[in-house]
Amino acid sequence: MPMKISEQNIKNYTVVAIDGRLDTNHCDTFEKQMMEIVTRSNRLILDCKNLEYISSSGLRIFLVLQKKLMALSGQMKLCQLQPAIKEIFEISGFTMIFSIFSDLEKALES
Amino acid sequence: MPDQNSIRRLTFQNQLDELEKIHLAASEIVEQWNLPAHLGFTLDLVLEEAFTNIVLYAYNDKDQHEIIIEFENTGYTLLITLVDDGQPYDPTKKDDPDITAPISEREVGGLGIFLIRKMMDDVRYERISNKNVLKLTKNYANEN
Repeated sequence: MPMKISEQNIKNYTVVAIDGRLDTNHCDTFEKQMMEIVTRSNRLILDCKNLEYISSSGLRIFLVLQKKLMALSGQMKLCQLQPAIKEIFEISGFTMIFSIFSDLEKALES
Repeated sequence: MPDQNSIRRLTFQNQLDELEKIHLAASEIVEQWNLPAHLGFTLDLVLEEAFTNIVLYAYNDKDQHEIIIEFENTGYTLLITLVDDGQPYDPTKKDDPDITAPISEREVGGLGIFLIRKMMDDVRYERISNKNVLKLTKNYANEN
């Protein structure tokens, strides 16, 4: 099942929309794409509106990215998590680690 | 009302690209047995975590192995059993990650088995006839 990302610059942020499933078989591609983006921008918003599924392999990358951006004095925000994804984030303690917003506008303005 | 006393037994190879087939099989079971649709996400997640763990860590050879996944529904309880012939490993003995640790101290791995435990109502391990048998139970009577 495909996973793709699309990128656009809004205000001072690079907004990355994630589309599809972040599972064991697709997380390597995602990690490479994100690491490349981080070399160009350290202010990221991950728009998870169309992120349908995530497993521990995908969660690991979110954590790696957050650590990387902190080391670069950057910033990462998440928005529009679907309820099932939000639940996984809560169970994993990720809601305490990440800045999560209900919509993109709020993420851009905060 | 979900289908009663339904059983399905499927066999997979010890390869990660089997996850796609497992995902399709789980979706089919949710639909055909009239299980609540949101159970699909839970099933996908626990099956991926348990199966990936077996494929990556159970075998110390490069041979092909069979991993059996059995689904059984009784009442409002779904039992999933995974059987593999890898080296003995009891995931119920694994320590939980510290999910309250600040980001700087937070470990990047170790969430897979933790998620299985949190999403399921019961997780049991047995070693039977040189095989690892992992039983995952989900009671969904109170869910829509």
